[in-house]
Amino acid sequence: MNYAPTSISPAHSVHTKGAGEIRLVNLTKSFGDMDAVKDINLTIPHGSYCCLLGPSGCGKTTILRMIAGHETPTTGEIYIGDDMVVGKTPVERGTAMMFQSYALFPHLSVLDNVAFYLKMRGVGKEERRTRAREMLERVQLSHLANRMPAQLSGGQQQRVALARSLITNPKVLLLDEPLSALDEFLRLRMRGELKNLQDELGITFVHVTHTQPEAIALADMVVVMDTGRIEQAASANEIYNRPATPYVARFMGGQNVLTGRVESISPTGMVLKSEKGEIFNAPLTGAAPKLGEPVSISMRRDRISISKPQNGKGAQQADAVTGVVDSTEYQGSFVKVSIVLDGGETFVANMPDHEFFAEPVDHGVPVVARWKPEHVHVLSKADTEGTKDPYAGSGH
Amino acid sequence: MALPSYGKRPWTFYVLATLFTLFVIFLYGPMISVLILSFQGPSAALNFPLRDPSLMWFDELFNPRRVGDVPGAFRRSLPLALITMLLTVVIAVTAGFAFRHRFRGATLVFYMAIASLIIPGLVLSIGILVTARFLGLSANWYTTALGAHLSWTLPFGLLIMFAVLGRLSPSYEEASYDLGATRWQTVKDVVLPIVFPGIIAVALFGFTLSYDEFPRSWLTVGTLNTLPLEIWTMTTNVTSPALYALGTVTTIVSFIVIALALGSILLIQRRRSGSS
Repeated sequence: MNYAPTSISPAHSVHTKGAGEIRLVNLTKSFGDMDAVKDINLTIPHGSYCCLLGPSGCGKTTILRMIAGHETPTTGEIYIGDDMVVGKTPVERGTAMMFQSYALFPHLSVLDNVAFYLKMRGVGKEERRTRAREMLERVQLSHLANRMPAQLSGGQQQRVALARSLITNPKVLLLDEPLSALDEFLRLRMRGELKNLQDELGITFVHVTHTQPEAIALADMVVVMDTGRIEQAASANEIYNRPATPYVARFMGGQNVLTGRVESISPTGMVLKSEKGEIFNAPLTGAAPKLGEPVSISMRRDRISISKPQNGKGAQQADAVTGVVDSTEYQGSFVKVSIVLDGGETFVANMPDHEFFAEPVDHGVPVVARWKPEHVHVLSKADTEGTKDPYAGSGH
Repeated sequence: MALPSYGKRPWTFYVLATLFTLFVIFLYGPMISVLILSFQGPSAALNFPLRDPSLMWFDELFNPRRVGDVPGAFRRSLPLALITMLLTVVIAVTAGFAFRHRFRGATLVFYMAIASLIIPGLVLSIGILVTARFLGLSANWYTTALGAHLSWTLPFGLLIMFAVLGRLSPSYEEASYDLGATRWQTVKDVVLPIVFPGIIAVALFGFTLSYDEFPRSWLTVGTLNTLPLEIWTMTTNVTSPALYALGTVTTIVSFIVIALALGSILLIQRRRSGSS
């Protein structure tokens, strides 16, 4: 095997700027007739924390495995830094992967697991153990050096797996659902540790997850995926507040999506009319749509206010929808009120708890949900999925 | 006032417990009888009671005057079992790895290997003898009998390897590759150590199946008997407790082999769970 000389040099050598940039060009992976990843283009900047987010089967793990070199693309190119890496070994790529199950070797002690990379390149026993011990110190696990993996807790196993990956001095660390095997408490703690580690090392992290809060909390760049395609790649804030498509809005969970046809356009905005005759005001962003064209809008769940309908006039008001309360869930700082609209879709309002308890509503109560026009965000694609979307009701 | 009831055992418990006790007696009773009677004194018969316990029949066994060539049979059976074991391990393990990567005709090869479990051993024995004669080869324990035994041990070995490798997560190999190991390093330093207990199980099956084999040995060993054939011959013409002594000795050999195998598996597992 041909080893890249850069990664043999002592641990903790500093990579040149831009070395950890990942570029996917027209990347496709097919398994038989099924395209797991379809013609993807994506650039992940050097030193960023990138989360690939999507439901299971969306292709996010396949992308990660192709970057890692554990899966060969059907067509397309992958660049790390300036190098085209398709066909190269993981070590030549400068990537290291942390597996979902951690894949710690059960027959080796913690120390020998961490020293494995050095052993494979013929580093002598004393030297590799010394260096592995240093790495274990960095993840604060020196006291467990002689334990076997089976004796460690999930969190400890994860740190050993991290140490084992980092000893290769990678330009890119790839993490496959690293937190999914941990309980809630540890998950939050390790989440913080991962973020700190990435800040400290300054290398590129690519983290696959299906959990929205995880992606939002960690990522500089969130890539939302759906069945082999990228729906949106942007900062967490952008993804959460200005989702590009109805899919992203629904998947991220904090938004309500409504659709109407363009009734009129003015310099400051447009007016939409839904199939049921509701009127929604929306700002004009980008190119103006044609009259009569369907447009989807979204508004955050915590920007919705609820009131009881007065004299049955609720439906005539603009920027409001009517429905019946389906369920209320107390979430501590707010109450999640799920409303079934007259058309059957679910609409969610997250109400501050003091507001909710001042005038509580319960299952079966008819309500009007209102929002202010300035809180309306226009989606780039009109909604075609409607209530069929499996994530419509999910909330975070 | 009624006492709280924590549930009593259903009647089926007692039926099944009785059944199991009978099963254990049935299983071990004969073996224990043979063990006891192998210490029979000089004046004694082939059945209970035990009179004047002695070791004379063991002496008779190793220094034969009246019984057949037991030490000679043992000196053939042991190496035969060891060679069979070795070949079974090498072939079953490599074949097991080959089957992990689906190749053309894999299913056909698998069913052909398994089919030799179904063919009656005696028929196979006759077939091997006839074929060897036709090819002008003489039947020997280290040629025809070895082949016959392998037809029996290899399918078992392969099935065990399927079970072992089926539980081996591919992520170990990927992790190894990710950490810069070559294919050979991955096999040597990751895969083989992880599946080692399974390989011991294959070896154990290879050894005991061969060591005990009668039907497939019957016509294929040629003129000199293996141990099971020798015992069979003795039952037809020896009427002394030497037969029991032989039973005791062969059982002890089997137990030693099993104990060694299980002991090494336990040792590995203890090291992995980290009592080291």
